[in-house]
Amino acid sequence: MIFSRLLKSQRGNIRNLTLLVLIGMVSALCVGMVSAQKQVITDDEVNEIAGKLYCPVCENIPLDACGTAACADWRYEIRLQLEQGMTEQQIIDDFVLRFGDRVVGTPQDPTLRLLSLATPYVALLLAIIATVVALIRLRKQPDTVTELENDTSEKAKPNDHYRDLLEQDLS
Amino acid sequence: MLAEIGYFALIFALGTAIYAIVASVYGEYRHRESLVLSGRNAALLNFVFVTIATLALQIALMTEQYQIKYVWSVTNPQMPEFFRFTSLWGSQAGSLLFWSFLMSLFSAGAIVLNWKSHRRLMPYAIAYMMAVLVFFIGISLVYENPFERWWVMPESAGGEVIAAVLAPAGATAPLASRLADSANGLNPLLRHFGMAIHPPMLYLGFVGFVIPFAFAMSALASGELSTNWIKASRRWALVAWLFLSLGLLLGGRWAYDVLGWGGYWGWDPVENAAFLPWLIGTAFLHSVMIQEKRGMLKVWNMFLIIGTFSAVIFGTFATRSGLVESVHSFARSEIGFPMFFFWFFVTIISVALILHRRGQGLLEDEHKFNNIFSREAMFVVNNMIFVALFIAVFWGSFGAPIISELVFDTNITLGADYFNTVTPPLFLIMYILMGVAPLSAWGITSLSRLGKAMVIPLGLTALTLVLFVIGGMGSPLVLLGYGIVILAGWVAIYETYRGVRARTRAHGENPLTALWKISLRNPRRYGGYMIHLGVTVIGIGVIGSTLFQLETQKSLAVGESIQIGGYEMVYDRFDGGQISQDERIMDIANVSVWRDGQQLATLRPRRDFFPGTEGMNTMTIAGAHSTVENDFYVLLVDWEELNQNRATFKIYINPLINLVWWGGLILILGTIIATLPKEIMNKETRRRLRQS
Repeated sequence: MIFSRLLKSQRGNIRNLTLLVLIGMVSALCVGMVSAQKQVITDDEVNEIAGKLYCPVCENIPLDACGTAACADWRYEIRLQLEQGMTEQQIIDDFVLRFGDRVVGTPQDPTLRLLSLATPYVALLLAIIATVVALIRLRKQPDTVTELENDTSEKAKPNDHYRDLLEQDLS
Repeated sequence: MLAEIGYFALIFALGTAIYAIVASVYGEYRHRESLVLSGRNAALLNFVFVTIATLALQIALMTEQYQIKYVWSVTNPQMPEFFRFTSLWGSQAGSLLFWSFLMSLFSAGAIVLNWKSHRRLMPYAIAYMMAVLVFFIGISLVYENPFERWWVMPESAGGEVIAAVLAPAGATAPLASRLADSANGLNPLLRHFGMAIHPPMLYLGFVGFVIPFAFAMSALASGELSTNWIKASRRWALVAWLFLSLGLLLGGRWAYDVLGWGGYWGWDPVENAAFLPWLIGTAFLHSVMIQEKRGMLKVWNMFLIIGTFSAVIFGTFATRSGLVESVHSFARSEIGFPMFFFWFFVTIISVALILHRRGQGLLEDEHKFNNIFSREAMFVVNNMIFVALFIAVFWGSFGAPIISELVFDTNITLGADYFNTVTPPLFLIMYILMGVAPLSAWGITSLSRLGKAMVIPLGLTALTLVLFVIGGMGSPLVLLGYGIVILAGWVAIYETYRGVRARTRAHGENPLTALWKISLRNPRRYGGYMIHLGVTVIGIGVIGSTLFQLETQKSLAVGESIQIGGYEMVYDRFDGGQISQDERIMDIANVSVWRDGQQLATLRPRRDFFPGTEGMNTMTIAGAHSTVENDFYVLLVDWEELNQNRATFKIYINPLINLVWWGGLILILGTIIATLPKEIMNKETRRRLRQS
């Protein structure tokens, strides 16, 4: 009796509480669904990262193009890592940590990266300096060479012809 | 029997090559003509013996002589005859023998064709060519003998199966049926039509560059340092460059068709190993013109041809020794050290010879540079760019990985990221030079003259770019890149047009006849313009297919479709487990490609599996629908094993990619024209000379 009276008096509160719990559950479900939807990773997202990595086993084959079962597993691992919310750089760093700098197209280590990328430019700079020095050293005042050799007009041809005959005789 | 014939023919080939070196050098030194002639004949005989050895192996491959280890390792009874034939160069030992065969063929050709015209250079040239052959034949005999056979040792000796050239005491040959059953077959990746042509072309390019190198070294050794060595070797260098270009192009096509990654150039170390001699060989072909025309850069040209030869040997060493790994490098073997030693030894001797002759003052330049805008100055800058590209590619492929491992104890890979960062600016400078240098003059020229000559090509380029903008291209950087590349093409076309116009005005010929005549009159110039045009078309294709490539991957159920780049692809059905004639198992997806509601094509991307093959035993064959605009390129990535109702596809839209192949064809045609002998006298002159 007392219990039923208590129940009657609290019925409004219980109804409100139930409603609150239901709203909470639906909200949580919605958030979960939205969150779950965000975690659906496409093949393109996986390949975008895999394309920046190399197969740790078969050297010099990009991970997105490698057809071995091991590479398929590693691509799946990238998918899981993306689902866990890891960024592209974190995934690349993780692969480098496990397999070394050989799995990326340019080393992540700052020293190796600098050495790799700067060397060709240094070589180019040296080549430019060497070329400029060579051109300056080999340069002189204009001599008697004419532009006839480059002339495509007909008047240049007789000379070409005689020169050819002369070269043939000399050879 | 075939194994014995091949083996002893190789031994005789080695003997004749050694004799040719000794007889030629000693005969020349002692001025004994009979010895020099004997050396020449020995070199020709060497070709005969190497040919016999190669034929013996080829016949063994065709007739399924599985007791020969090489035949057992690269063929099997299911293989079609075509691949049985191409398996001669399908693995290390056979390809080295094939290398020697091509080298002896080129050597014989160089001896026969140049003996009379360049007699003084020939003894030392023969010595150098034969020295290279001695090395490669020696490698074949000692380390990678293609004539080794399987033998079963007697029970008393352990009963093992071993490989040996001659029968060990008490050993017996294994049962033929057992050998046939266990034969490996060719590497699946090599079972492609491109593989029938790609390696021979590359090898021809490689060995072709040995001939100019031999003539250059002969000039240094004999002291005959006029332009004769250039005249003797120019056509050989062009032929080598032609084959190397063809080999690179076919390699790209093979990669596009077979490797299944949607591209044609992956900056793989083996690709780069073939690209390096091409780069430095191209520099040589340009630079050597300065020496011919102006008597300049004699030392530099020597270094360039040594560099080309070194790149050939180093590339061969790097890909065959296990120094680098790649999809198509050969397995690790013992030839690394001897090959490195040979490369190092030849390079040191060559450089020492240059320094010696330079010290004697025999390599002094005959002229000086007159002007920074002269063609020779442009060619020097061109050389600088090619050498810089060479260094960048070498560093990325070999230098950085090796140094990193030696110094930092870290394995690194420099991939497409590195090459796509470092090389584009250099290639763009190369294209600028291609656009400017043909308009400059040898000797004296001025900026104003050069500017005037460029007005029309620049105008045509601007007009082309306006059309690009109207067509929807908006990126200024891309337009700049296209502008630089297209300028080079317009200059080549304009210069050819000027020649044709002059000829039509002078002789009243129609333009096609005039083009033919001027090409025969000056094949190097007009062949060169055509090569430039080809490189331009390739450049347009490379920019388009690199910058505007679209890519997507998706899993589809039968009947579902995917859209990309204006195309729609529908997954129609799956034909699993199809067995071909060579017993490969093919899993084929059937898809249809649609655009604007119209079906364009039905494609059958597939995955081939080679049962019983060790190592890489699958191959992904793309389905492609090609148009001028682009390639619709689809790969079968995966599928449901049980009902095959669902399959995963990777699709690429590769814009303008066909221009890469068409540009390559133009380049090849241009090189063939440039290689033609120059028409020194016209028919009328020849007739008058004969009458007189």
